[in-house]
Amino acid sequence: MKLTVDGLLVYFPYDYIYPEQYAYMLELKRALDAKGHGLLEMPSGTGKTISLLSLIVAYMIQNPHHVRKLIYCSRTVPEIEKVLEELKNLIKYYEKSHGEKPSLTGVVLSSRKNLCIHPEVSREREGKLVDGKCHSLTASYIRERHERDSSVPVCQFYEGFNREGKESMLPYGVYTMDDLKQYGADRNWCPYFLSRFAIIHAEIVVYSYHYLLDPKIAEVVSKELNKEAVVVFDEAHNIDNVCIDSLSVKLTRRTIDKSTQALQTLEKAVTQLKQEDAERLTLEYEQMVEGLREAAVARETDMILANPVLPDEVLNEVVPGNIRNAEHFLGFLKRFIEYLKTRLRIQHVVQESPAGFLKDVASRVCIERKPLRFCSSRLQSLMRTLQISDPSNFGALTLVANLATLVSSYTKGFVIIIEPFDDRTPTVSNPILHFSCMDSSIAMRPVFARFQSVIITSGTLSPLDMYPKILDFNPVIMSSFTMTLARPCILPMIVSKGSDQVTISSKYETREDVAVIRNYGQLLVEISACVPDGVVCFFTSYLYLESVVGAWYDQGVVASLQKHKLLFIETQDSAETSFALINYIKACESGRGAVLLSVARGKVSEGVDFDHHLGRAVLMFGIPYVFTQSRILKARLEYLRDQFQIRENDFLTFDAMRHAAQCVGRALRGKTDYGIMIFADKRFSRADKRSKLPRWIQEHLRDSLCNLSTEEAVQISKRWLRQMAQPFTREDQLGVSLLTLAQLQSQEQQDKIEKQVIQK
Amino acid sequence: MTTSSEDVLLSVGHVRYKKGDGTLYVMNQRLAWMLENRDTVAVSHKYADIKTQKISPIGKPKVQLQVVLHDGTCSTFQFVNPAGAEAQAKDRDQVKMLLQDLLPKFKRQIDGELEMKSRLLSLHPTLKHLYEDLVISKVINSEEYWNTPTLKHYTESTSMKQEAGVSGAFLADIQPQTDGCNGLKYNLTQDIIDAIFKTYPAVRKKHVDYVPNKMTEAEFWTKFFQSHYFHRDRIASSSSKDLFGECAKLDDQAIASAMRHTTVDLTVDLPQFTESVPFLPEDDLGEKEKDGTSIHRSMIKRFNQHSIMVLKASHKSNSSTNSNNTSSNSNSKTTNNNNKVIENGVKETNGVEKRTARDKDPTEPVDKKKRILEKIHYEDLDNVQIGEEAQELKLTKVERYLLGPSSQVSQSSTSTTRPPPLSALASICQAWSSGQQCQRPFRVSASAAVGALGELSPGGALMRQHQAACMAQLIPPDVKNELHRIYLSGGELLRELWRCFPQPGASAESEDTPVRAEKFYDALLRFRNVKLRPFEEKMLRELTPLATSLTKHMNQMIDTACAKYAMWQQRQAKLR
Repeated sequence: MKLTVDGLLVYFPYDYIYPEQYAYMLELKRALDAKGHGLLEMPSGTGKTISLLSLIVAYMIQNPHHVRKLIYCSRTVPEIEKVLEELKNLIKYYEKSHGEKPSLTGVVLSSRKNLCIHPEVSREREGKLVDGKCHSLTASYIRERHERDSSVPVCQFYEGFNREGKESMLPYGVYTMDDLKQYGADRNWCPYFLSRFAIIHAEIVVYSYHYLLDPKIAEVVSKELNKEAVVVFDEAHNIDNVCIDSLSVKLTRRTIDKSTQALQTLEKAVTQLKQEDAERLTLEYEQMVEGLREAAVARETDMILANPVLPDEVLNEVVPGNIRNAEHFLGFLKRFIEYLKTRLRIQHVVQESPAGFLKDVASRVCIERKPLRFCSSRLQSLMRTLQISDPSNFGALTLVANLATLVSSYTKGFVIIIEPFDDRTPTVSNPILHFSCMDSSIAMRPVFARFQSVIITSGTLSPLDMYPKILDFNPVIMSSFTMTLARPCILPMIVSKGSDQVTISSKYETREDVAVIRNYGQLLVEISACVPDGVVCFFTSYLYLESVVGAWYDQGVVASLQKHKLLFIETQDSAETSFALINYIKACESGRGAVLLSVARGKVSEGVDFDHHLGRAVLMFGIPYVFTQSRILKARLEYLRDQFQIRENDFLTFDAMRHAAQCVGRALRGKTDYGIMIFADKRFSRADKRSKLPRWIQEHLRDSLCNLSTEEAVQISKRWLRQMAQPFTREDQLGVSLLTLAQLQSQEQQDKIEKQVIQK
Repeated sequence: MTTSSEDVLLSVGHVRYKKGDGTLYVMNQRLAWMLENRDTVAVSHKYADIKTQKISPIGKPKVQLQVVLHDGTCSTFQFVNPAGAEAQAKDRDQVKMLLQDLLPKFKRQIDGELEMKSRLLSLHPTLKHLYEDLVISKVINSEEYWNTPTLKHYTESTSMKQEAGVSGAFLADIQPQTDGCNGLKYNLTQDIIDAIFKTYPAVRKKHVDYVPNKMTEAEFWTKFFQSHYFHRDRIASSSSKDLFGECAKLDDQAIASAMRHTTVDLTVDLPQFTESVPFLPEDDLGEKEKDGTSIHRSMIKRFNQHSIMVLKASHKSNSSTNSNNTSSNSNSKTTNNNNKVIENGVKETNGVEKRTARDKDPTEPVDKKKRILEKIHYEDLDNVQIGEEAQELKLTKVERYLLGPSSQVSQSSTSTTRPPPLSALASICQAWSSGQQCQRPFRVSASAAVGALGELSPGGALMRQHQAACMAQLIPPDVKNELHRIYLSGGELLRELWRCFPQPGASAESEDTPVRAEKFYDALLRFRNVKLRPFEEKMLRELTPLATSLTKHMNQMIDTACAKYAMWQQRQAKLR
């Protein structure tokens, strides 16, 4: 249908529309008009992606000077593929109603592993190996060598692309990964570099968070992207953690050992080069003396990782004299590694600020701050000069160099924690140095500063006011939408006690209590007896899952569970879990039914959807608080309190509740879907927890559902399931949760939608 | 009786049966006994009815021969030849030898059917209960019993045997019982053994290897129950004394190879979900492997394996039927592959390479795309009519559709037609209750019906007082079982009775329906006297508070049926 949103003609590729989709578009348009940032929450399964795409694409077509580019960031590869298919759908609709394709190019960028079509390189399963092999075929010096000696192998696809590909632009259309591969294979071009090149000009770019948030990659990949762009972060409920991870470094003894090895290899390479071709080293040195930060204008294929420091950081200075010479630099690095080694040789936990660390470095091994800052780029330059063909072996050393650069660039918002052992196994020495970022706004700030509109959206962003604080930005719009429903297709319940009236809670004091574990087991058994097909349970941590499963085996819970459904459990091995998941789906599809035990914050909870029969009930056993004894967390909480005036408990609850909501939200993926959501912990019924759930769940969580025992919950579920199993047709939905164009345009409906948007 | 037409193969005098002396005749078709000086046959057993014959051991004072019939009754003949014990034994042996020759001939004819029936009864405990309640207590006779539609359903459908799947909990079902002196007793049935073999091929292999050459069946299973393989909370000991230590490894290998060979659906391919930062070392997961909680870890692994294997076992049995198909398929596949290789070689010399052709599984991208489209599809936003591809229902006789097929037709057509829709059932019920042809089927809307159902189930508005839990607690399990059986057999009789009443709109009634109805009416009354009443009395004695309420519903049903019968009888009488 073609609808007008606040005067903008929007092509929407469906015949019907949900009211909240319209409301969402309205809000989104306001943000675009104001050229500001926005924060939008809308339940999963209400067509967020297509609303976003339809509106922004329409906006781009009609205001080409206002918004030139859409950068759509999502988190997982399947999500990215879904976005592309939706975009294809939309473009097809434009084509159908206009008779010609709109002049837009949409392109995806993914890692080499997903895009490579080289017959040998693409056979590797691991991303790291593909990257390394690719580099060894495409690096500029390899290609130079190939010019002289044609027996040196190069990648035909890259050569093909380099010869012809850069002159022409991709024809209009949407290119998924498979399309790119096909396009590349037809022309003998490398899809990866084609895509790297195409994103600069393409109107719509879809890729994963890292390409924009991680300064190491963003500098290489996204530096030249147009500033008049709308950036969308979808599934952004975890965006602060992504930001933090991209700037944190963790060193173990193994990393140190490996980097020492790598350093020795480099030393050997330098001495060898000195004998064979001293020219090159001198050239590099000369250029540095002259003030060029990098030895040569790096070719695109040579760029491995940029500095972990943000693009606006002032690094346009000359490389300090004491590390210009290759040997000096290696000596410098060696000293630094030795220093780190001594720091790891401790018996007690050390926590210090970057400033303190720098002071200690200076006093103990005489390393100044300034050369440290250049470590990362100097190492890259040296590796290029030495023509290291496979940089994947130097990962550990790169990590150390990154640490050096980061620690000397940032004095605020970071902390260094050295732990001699894991808290759970105090006898085993396993020293780890954490260089941890505590401020998620550091990685986010350049994105907000650079792009005209940044939209942060997800199904679970409640409470909304937390995000502007921790990401440090000022949104022009901030809205939460609920799901209009023709029938109550979610049934959230808080089960606070077992059938024996014992309070159930994953509180630290009671979580190992036999009665609590037994009651959890009983709840699961009874639910799995009355709920058809798939049941998914989330535990607060993997350790807890393990101990509960052990106890359940002894108590016979596992046996009675197996009588009703097959049992699958998430493990820490993700390949194993994937296989279990496939079988879980098979079991649900064959009608046998299955139970999946999983972990909040785990990979399953973050990326796998359990739509329709794959998840008719989700149980959340306990509140998924993050491990509060962790020192990194404590440091972060302290920082948040001092800098942003966020109380520790508020943040912890916020974090726990967003994960809980994320877990239970996995079950509902659309209005025709339905699912039971059980929060099995007494503490959920407290106001401070309940009010932090997303609005669309809160709306259905009536007071009468907040303090149930196991039997009550089972009885309510049975009744509800019987209702849900009835045929549900479009007529039931029309006018309430589904609108035709005519209905949408009626004044009454418009008012209703206007009212629905809750501004916070 | 028609002894004359039959050949008498042997006649033996001086045979006592129930304190009367007479003559035993061994005839062509049957065994007969006549009282002395009478010309009517007092006892006559068709050979086909005889299950076995038994003789008294040598040395016993009485020389007897007993024939046991299939229905469990038996007749004992005592040989009382005045010539003495030796002559008696000789007489008997003559009969015995002859019977020995004759019986198997007849057995074969009837055996098939009978064996099937007895197997059916042993397979289905409910049927056995029904048989005991209805036939053995003489409410109805055996023939009627086997002719009821429920039984017919069983006897007919068994011809197409369906393989049973594997229960997920079969290992847990083997509840060990302590025998009081430091031992454990495991109950193992053939079903469980089958399940174990189906699910764990490695154990089957071990069984083939070891039993009966190296150990007995019992020893094998004892070892099995002692092994860590059965006890999932134990860690495999490194000393490989355990017979099944290998099995766990084999399972691991099987799962690992299955993991390698399945193309993972992209929506669950966790390792590929996130794109890692190139050239940076990832977290070392290898170190985490071995630490304190590995008991739980291995247990979790075993649970996953168990579920996967159970699933595989049931899939296997499904696919085994068309194994022929697949084998021919695989043949063609290999040839296909060969073609592809050649094709590929040509392509590659061109330097251009077709990606799709090279992939291991050419369907993969298509599947992937389908899967994504499935995920992003919103069925309610699209205007595609779901029913478009479905065929339109064309009815020649609408009332027939609404009322369901009449009884005559039903015999032939039940197997082909699908069960009639609920609405039709509703209208039939209505027609019955009003006792005449219904004009127009009145239907309650689906939502209203569900609402009513909901209110009527525990927790609903109409069932507030009802405490399902307390009811379950009050009734001891044995009473519950008994009640269940009463419902089962009573229901069967009631249904038969209701079936005898002519359906509205049915054309001519057949001759025997009144007779049948009468028979079942009588049977129902008998059932009430023989089964229900004693149960009620027992309940009155044992469970006073609940006694009447337990059987209230059953009584109500019987009363309704009787009333209906009476009304129908009246109408029949008037018509005549």
